[in-house]
Amino acid sequence: MTGAINGQLRQITRRAALGALGAGIIGASVASWPRLSGTDIPGRGDNSLSIAILGTAADAAARQRAIDAFSSLHPDIKVKVQAIQAVDWKDFFTKILTMVAAGTPPDVVYVATEGAQLFAEKLAHPLDEYIRRDAADMREFFSDVHPSLVEAFMYKGSLYQLPMDWNAANMYYNTAAFAEAGLDRPADDWTHLDFRNNLAAMRKARPSDFTPYYWTNRLFGGVVPWLYANDTSFLKETRSTGGDWLWDGFYASDPSRSLRSGGYQWLEPNANDDRVFESFDYLRGLVKDGLGVRPEEGGGNSLVGLFASNRIGTTPAGGYWVQGLHEAGMAEDGFDVQFFPRWKTQRHQFGTAGYAMMKTAKDKDAAWEWIKFSSSRQAMELIFPNPATTPARRSMVNEKLYAGKGPAHWKVFYDTLDRFPTTGPIPAPPQQAAVETALMKNVSLAVSGDEQQLKQALASMQRDLEIALRRQP
Amino acid sequence: MSTTIPPRERPRQDARPDKPAARGRKGASGNRHSQRWLAWVFLAPTILGMGLFTLIPIVASVVLAFFRWDIISAPSFVGFNNFAEVVQDPTVRVSFLNTIVFVVVAVALQLGLALALAIMVQEKMPAWLRVFFRSAFFFPLILSAASVSIFMRYLFNEQFGVVNWLLSLVGIPAVPWLTTPGGSAAVVILVYVWQNFGFSFLLFIGGLASIPVETYEAASIDGATGWRKHLHVTLPLLSPTTLVASVMAIISALQVFDQPYVLTRGGPGDSTRTAVMVIFESAFQRLEFGQASAIGVLLTLIIMAITAAQFRLSKRFVFYQ
Repeated sequence: MTGAINGQLRQITRRAALGALGAGIIGASVASWPRLSGTDIPGRGDNSLSIAILGTAADAAARQRAIDAFSSLHPDIKVKVQAIQAVDWKDFFTKILTMVAAGTPPDVVYVATEGAQLFAEKLAHPLDEYIRRDAADMREFFSDVHPSLVEAFMYKGSLYQLPMDWNAANMYYNTAAFAEAGLDRPADDWTHLDFRNNLAAMRKARPSDFTPYYWTNRLFGGVVPWLYANDTSFLKETRSTGGDWLWDGFYASDPSRSLRSGGYQWLEPNANDDRVFESFDYLRGLVKDGLGVRPEEGGGNSLVGLFASNRIGTTPAGGYWVQGLHEAGMAEDGFDVQFFPRWKTQRHQFGTAGYAMMKTAKDKDAAWEWIKFSSSRQAMELIFPNPATTPARRSMVNEKLYAGKGPAHWKVFYDTLDRFPTTGPIPAPPQQAAVETALMKNVSLAVSGDEQQLKQALASMQRDLEIALRRQP
Repeated sequence: MSTTIPPRERPRQDARPDKPAARGRKGASGNRHSQRWLAWVFLAPTILGMGLFTLIPIVASVVLAFFRWDIISAPSFVGFNNFAEVVQDPTVRVSFLNTIVFVVVAVALQLGLALALAIMVQEKMPAWLRVFFRSAFFFPLILSAASVSIFMRYLFNEQFGVVNWLLSLVGIPAVPWLTTPGGSAAVVILVYVWQNFGFSFLLFIGGLASIPVETYEAASIDGATGWRKHLHVTLPLLSPTTLVASVMAIISALQVFDQPYVLTRGGPGDSTRTAVMVIFESAFQRLEFGQASAIGVLLTLIIMAITAAQFRLSKRFVFYQ
């Protein structure tokens, strides 16, 4: 009996003690180990102001001079720029959303028009209180920036971003191709019919290995500029009320003050509008007659190289193209730019970008200081040293920026806003990604078949847009 | 005196000498015990990994299919609404149909090409060339599908692509590869098959090598020649390999994403949109993660049903030696 007890005790002592020891070590390790989260990744867990931009590590490094200048003004604020590589803005926003879901959102994000309303609706903090507070400092900025760019970042009466750079869909043309076809520089008010005649002349002069009009199937520079020129769009455009605090405070004497609102709204599809059909039919004619390409979805990667090698006559693009063409070896007089052709109007399409302060920003005052500093002339000259985009400040779009690179008529870029004050942003509601998909997927079919196929494609687009917009925020 | 031993006193068959038996039993049990522990220790990383990265996400996505969630706001329970909306969505329906058509065509081409090349390489090539072709055909599989698709996009560009340039040399006018429904579907299938047939090819090479030479010799004696030998010997004996290759090819093809996404973005229209593409678009473009999960659940059920059907059919068509 005693032996049995002793044996059992011996067994318990040996096994249970070892087991308990092991369990204890594991338990203690687990209990003492801090919860592993995204902030444990080196560099994420500190108190730096984290700024997310679309680009590569080289793009982040290019901002170092601006960061240094900011740090000398605000030594107490540590700044960390995080460059996120993405195919396009849609892809970039997806990655920001996954960072939000992972619990590691940046404090400030560089957001283009495509995502402005998504951020304003769900992620960003309005800048109104800061702009009002620092109105004296901000007056110089607004006096140098066209109100159309600012209005693109108004959402339901509040301002969420300050425009830093922008680009309108102007029309680039190859001067050699124009000369070969016996064409002069088009007039400022050239029409869509003049444009077509020019394409036909270029096609006649160069029947092969040449595309008179190359365009891409994207939200910017695709079919939308033609819709805007024809005074329509694939979404019904309305405006919010409000925003008077900004317009009266900073743009009271601007000639276009009466046009300003509390921001754009795109709540309903408009693909079944007659003028949308008319615009698509015009493009379909260009494709059918071999004057324009059938656009690939999301195409455009090879465009700079093709244009620089004189294989493209015309294409819609913004000031961002100048640096690319220069680097591709195109001479400054090898190309030029003109306003987009007139149809019922000569309203242009533009896209702009600026910093948005996240609702979750750890230190909103620090975030605002970065945004305010970035809008200064000093910072913008450091960030935009070359014409890889068009600076939002009118005073920076000058001869010096385009010297030695072209185009001869670089004034067209900013004149677009002055000459056509109704020029509007890319139609990008909070559901932009779904809306862009609905547009893009139907464009190729709409312009590459017969009239019946065009009608079917537009009906499909209308249905897809209804689905995309069915859940209003 | 009876020689029979009373049952109670009869030694048990498995009885062992007293002391050593006790020790042996204890030793064997301890061994088994420690082996079991060791097995668990070795299995633990796999089980942990499977649990964390496969099982939990599967369960979470099934649960998520009953919620509306946009990442930013809190999820809200919507019952079967996501499934109802998904079933009614014409884009989802078309994408599932596209996926099935893609699977049928791409898998048939992939297996047919892989088998034909495997027979050719195994039978007609000298050993050194066999090694070369095995590597060459497998090589596309190790490339990133996205990179390959970007490259192919340039090749198949209507205006400036190399493919149309080559066609123009023989007088064929430019083909709108990526901007017409038929052309884009053909390119997506072509690129997918080119990149994936190498795996099936290797499986078939292995299967062919395992067929005994004597079987062919016996068939030859019976008068079988050429393609008859392949029809009556190779194909039946290769059927277990074909089953594995087809199951893997079908599951992989049902999940196709990279090639159509990079080459055509699913267009023109919905002509090359696949089931996994609509999952991606629902989740990351429309921020409807619940709907994306619902589509994922439906796709999983379809994959399971097809695989089960394949294994059921295999009882009739697969010949094991």
